[in-house]
Amino acid sequence: MAAVAETREVTAPRRSAGRGIVRSGTAWRWVVLVIAGAYFLLPLLVAFRFAGIKAFGSVVSETGFTSSLGLSVRLAIVTTVITIVLMLPTTVYVHLRLPRIRRLMEGITILPIVIPPVVLIVGVLQIAPGSLKSTAYLLSLEYVVLAMPFAYRAIDAGLRALDLKTIVEASNSLGAGWINTLWRVVMPNLTTALLSAVVLTVALVLGEYTMASLALYQTFPVWIYVNSQTSGQVSVAASLLALFVTWLFLMLITVAGTRRSRRTGGGSVTLFTVARQETRGN
Amino acid sequence: MTTNTANDAVAASGTRQTTGTRGTSVVLQNLSRAFGATKALDGLSIQMAPGELVALLGPSGCGKTTALRIVAGFEAADTGSVLVDGKDISPVPAAKRDMGMVFQSYSLFPNMNALDNVGFGLRMRKMGSGARRKRAGELLDMVGLSDQARQYPHQLSGGQQQRVALARALAIEPRVLLLDEPLSALDARVRLQLREQIRTLQQRLGTTTLFVTHDQEEALSMADRVGVMRQGRLEQIAAPDELYAHPATAFVAEFVGVMNRVPGEMAAGGMVTVLGATCPVQGHGGEDGGQETPGPGPVDVLIRPEGLTMQVAEHGNGIVTTRTFLGSVTRVAVLLSGDVTVQIDKPSSEAAALGPGTSVSVTLPPEPVLIAPRQ
Repeated sequence: MAAVAETREVTAPRRSAGRGIVRSGTAWRWVVLVIAGAYFLLPLLVAFRFAGIKAFGSVVSETGFTSSLGLSVRLAIVTTVITIVLMLPTTVYVHLRLPRIRRLMEGITILPIVIPPVVLIVGVLQIAPGSLKSTAYLLSLEYVVLAMPFAYRAIDAGLRALDLKTIVEASNSLGAGWINTLWRVVMPNLTTALLSAVVLTVALVLGEYTMASLALYQTFPVWIYVNSQTSGQVSVAASLLALFVTWLFLMLITVAGTRRSRRTGGGSVTLFTVARQETRGN
Repeated sequence: MTTNTANDAVAASGTRQTTGTRGTSVVLQNLSRAFGATKALDGLSIQMAPGELVALLGPSGCGKTTALRIVAGFEAADTGSVLVDGKDISPVPAAKRDMGMVFQSYSLFPNMNALDNVGFGLRMRKMGSGARRKRAGELLDMVGLSDQARQYPHQLSGGQQQRVALARALAIEPRVLLLDEPLSALDARVRLQLREQIRTLQQRLGTTTLFVTHDQEEALSMADRVGVMRQGRLEQIAAPDELYAHPATAFVAEFVGVMNRVPGEMAAGGMVTVLGATCPVQGHGGEDGGQETPGPGPVDVLIRPEGLTMQVAEHGNGIVTTRTFLGSVTRVAVLLSGDVTVQIDKPSSEAAALGPGTSVSVTLPPEPVLIAPRQ
């Protein structure tokens, strides 16, 4: 892009040369797209060829498939609920009452990315109540920690795009208490951000391997790995299926979210940017 | 429509009783509030009669918004109390105060259309959806926006948004209406229209209203009484004409309307010599004891543009520099000796003869004047 910017300043006689560079810039874009596309799609194609169509049929009947997928989905749901219930009020509170510690929050929420998962597991095991330690839902507590950086950033970006203080005060002055204000005023205006948080959390849980295998629970990714030791083709088919199902699920959330926020004038749902156009004229 | 009396049970059940009382009395009692070392409010007291519209006017940082936010329940006062119909509401949370508020920034809920925005307060009061829609519709009609009922805030103009916000605040039949510079984000023409609309509605409904603004024209044109604030204190509270004609202090005088500063000399007996005339100092030994009269020495005399008279005179004491046509009057700038420029209002028909460079004689009728320390 620097080259393009420079050519704009070139004086009149050389303008045609500048245009040539701009055109080749467009061409470059396609080259990058094709290379990146090949990088992501080729392994999938190869995996697909390796597994063969038949393997897809036998995946579903394989032992452990249903139970491991079921476990992963349940964990995803529990993790998402806990994450939102924890992070939404916290982030709203920070925005309203403690805007000064937003920097600190950003620092804290990045920790799970920096700290190795093993350390997090040991930490959670230390403080988790005994009754939880014997269930797979202990993993959810760990996933909540892992999802925190993404959830916090998504919600934080959504709140920044809102005039939170004013609408919360307006809601209060109209007689709404905190629960009503959060439920009817704040959350509906954060659908984009919350969907981003949900999408990221779900994707993270459905793909997490390290913690689950260390904690000896057979979640879907663990099952795929274990299964690959015995039947390579079926496990590859299973991972492709998992990828497709996850992708389909995320697309559904995204489409639903976009339709909703378009109606109310918000931006579209994207995974990492929560852009919200403020269309307010006089 | 009448505003019901203080009755939280009635408010909560949503079955609103309309009693004979019109409006609610509001008393701000000795309110103080400090943010760190800054005193936002320093002993503010105001008594508002039922149905009255009081404007708080002052430069930014004078504490007017803090006062409003304390009444709304968004801030707590360090000392002092707010009485609504004689009852101290300090412990009551904002959500239970029954006050309608219109904010400076657009405050409509982006996820709701205009109708649902207006109906929100009624919903919180558990009014059924049919009745709610009907009532919200009536209010939108009242602010002239029934056609926009289904539109979302981002589809409305700024002026329309503030009208919906006004309808939303009024929908709950608030005991007190609080307006926090609701017009300052709007363009001049819309502001003027909305100003009249708010005032008309407020008078029709008889809702006691506290209105915060830094725009003196807005305050003077809308309010029953205007309170001029400075550094957390009330300098003066009076009807607009009274405030204009008899400002209690130099600050009020200069903040409200246009004011000339003409150098003068204090003489004995509370008289001041200015422009060759000797005038009594306003408030000197007077009943309200407006200001302290300084001893003999140089002072500035404060005079309104219409308080000065001038005639074309060959060897006058001033020279016309510019003329500004304001419609029926024309404001003429005259340069006096000592490099002092004063503004003088003349009927536009008479101002035609006063081209720049005209020598004029500026005089002052011997009426009481305000003085300020020489600048």
